[in-house]
Amino acid sequence: MLLTFVRNREKAIALWLKDFILTMQEFFLFSVRTFISFPKVKRYWRDVLDQATICGTDSIPIVLVSAISIGSLLAIEVGNLLEDFGAKTMLGRSTSLSVIRELGPLLMGLMLSARFGSRNGAELGAMQISEQIDALRAFGTDPVAKLVMPRLVAALIMFLPLTALSDYAGLQSAAYMAEHYHRLDPGIFWNAVYPRLAPKDFVVGFLKAPVFAIIITLVSSFNGFSARGGTAGVGRSTIKGIVVSSGLVLIANFYVSKIVLENM
Amino acid sequence: MIELRNVGLKYGDKEILKNVSLTVRDNTIKAILGPSGVGKSTILKLMLGLIKPNKGQVIVDGTDITNMKEASLYSIRRKMGMVFQGNALFDSLTISQNLGFFLRENMKLPEEEIERRVEEQIQFAGLEGYEDQLPESLSGGMRRRVAIGRALIFKPHMILFDEPTAGLDPVSSKKILSLISSLRHNNNLGAVIVTHIIDDVFNVADCVAVLYQGEIIFDDVTEKLHNAQHPFIRSILSDKILEL
Ligand SMILES: Nc1ncnc2c1ncn2[C@@H]1O[C@H](COP(=O)(O)OP(=O)(O)O)[C@@H](O)[C@H]1O
Ligand SMILES: [Mg+2]
Repeated sequence: MLLTFVRNREKAIALWLKDFILTMQEFFLFSVRTFISFPKVKRYWRDVLDQATICGTDSIPIVLVSAISIGSLLAIEVGNLLEDFGAKTMLGRSTSLSVIRELGPLLMGLMLSARFGSRNGAELGAMQISEQIDALRAFGTDPVAKLVMPRLVAALIMFLPLTALSDYAGLQSAAYMAEHYHRLDPGIFWNAVYPRLAPKDFVVGFLKAPVFAIIITLVSSFNGFSARGGTAGVGRSTIKGIVVSSGLVLIANFYVSKIVLENM
Repeated sequence: MIELRNVGLKYGDKEILKNVSLTVRDNTIKAILGPSGVGKSTILKLMLGLIKPNKGQVIVDGTDITNMKEASLYSIRRKMGMVFQGNALFDSLTISQNLGFFLRENMKLPEEEIERRVEEQIQFAGLEGYEDQLPESLSGGMRRRVAIGRALIFKPHMILFDEPTAGLDPVSSKKILSLISSLRHNNNLGAVIVTHIIDDVFNVADCVAVLYQGEIIFDDVTEKLHNAQHPFIRSILSDKILEL
């Protein structure tokens, strides 16, 4: 009894592992195909612009909301902590570092993974199950070049200004809270921000934008392309896309920080 | 001409096609008849090189496309037009844009020529006045006609229909079938029609292959179908529609 249970378990794990490796291989090829279709960007410029509106302009509200809330929260909490040590004048430095290096980009990545990633997953998944992607191939158009590459280019371009916006809104709201909640003079706050920021702080933050753009776009598009089994299948693949890309955003966030801060 | 030679195909562990050999000649309309889920759509996808067989060969106009790379397949596919089962129209584009889409994408034609051809298809498919509508606002029969127009606009010499009358009311079905018959006289065009409705076969097909349990059990001119002895064919001749 126990033995058959263990055997079945082994079989299931072997099967799962095989499936996983095959999927990874497909994902790798999918990514390669996306990157090698970059030369067609001029031909699909209109699609790039459409996608830039969707992932850039239309994402501004959610990026602002998350940046403002994280900036204010940080200022309040860190301020309380620093007050215990009588080091409230350091508030600008600690919040600006957290916002620019870590929490700003991370939260933005998670928000975009939910917003842009889910949209990609659902849209491409619906196109897959209604055979529109097969139709592109059947009539001689490369669906990766037409559908995925423009999304990636748009994300690569737009995530940078979104990061800048997110940093700016986060810092401004932190400064606002410092002044009105902690009664800290704005001059003292900003004095602890600007002169202390090193280039590497910006490199960390802004390097995350293209890394997240690649993760979110490729993972969500790949899952859309792999959708099978009707409407429910689109739901499943969309969820999978968001879960996987959010997880990868968290991991990449850690490693980009680690690698850049250790090496610069 | 399209040829399948001893083609076998599995999805995972499920064997869909066991050993299928088929020839579709130019200038004839060939039907592939079989119950739902037997692998009819799969055969069309094999012919276009959208999927690869596990064994056997697929040959289009003398070229073996079985192991061809996607990039080289595009030029082969442009010789064929495909009408998908669910039409597969682009739902964010208007009817004219759908019709002209692949001409703009893949053929270096002047814009006036594209517009002329779109207009021609609009007339042929009887879609005047609907040029600027989105597919969702059209009836099922009209959407099917747009899908046919999108395949014909290329001037292919072979057109593949996946269940052209499935899900349509009898009047729309008839319209689609007469549209398909008219192709033979007008355009010098070969066609493959995949269907589970036996009336489609008798209405338009010159010859017919019957696919059953992964194998071709009949392949001859349509008239001879009446004399076929296979029990499955006998049963569908008496029932007319294959619901299995
Ligand atoms: N991508 C796929 N993965 C797994 N099974 C599939 C896939 N496509 C089709 N099938 C299965 O293969 C069989 C044949 O499908 P299909 O060619 O669409 O049949 P038909 O068009 O004759 O109704 C069906 O049982 C279907 O469930
Ligand atoms: Mg089918």
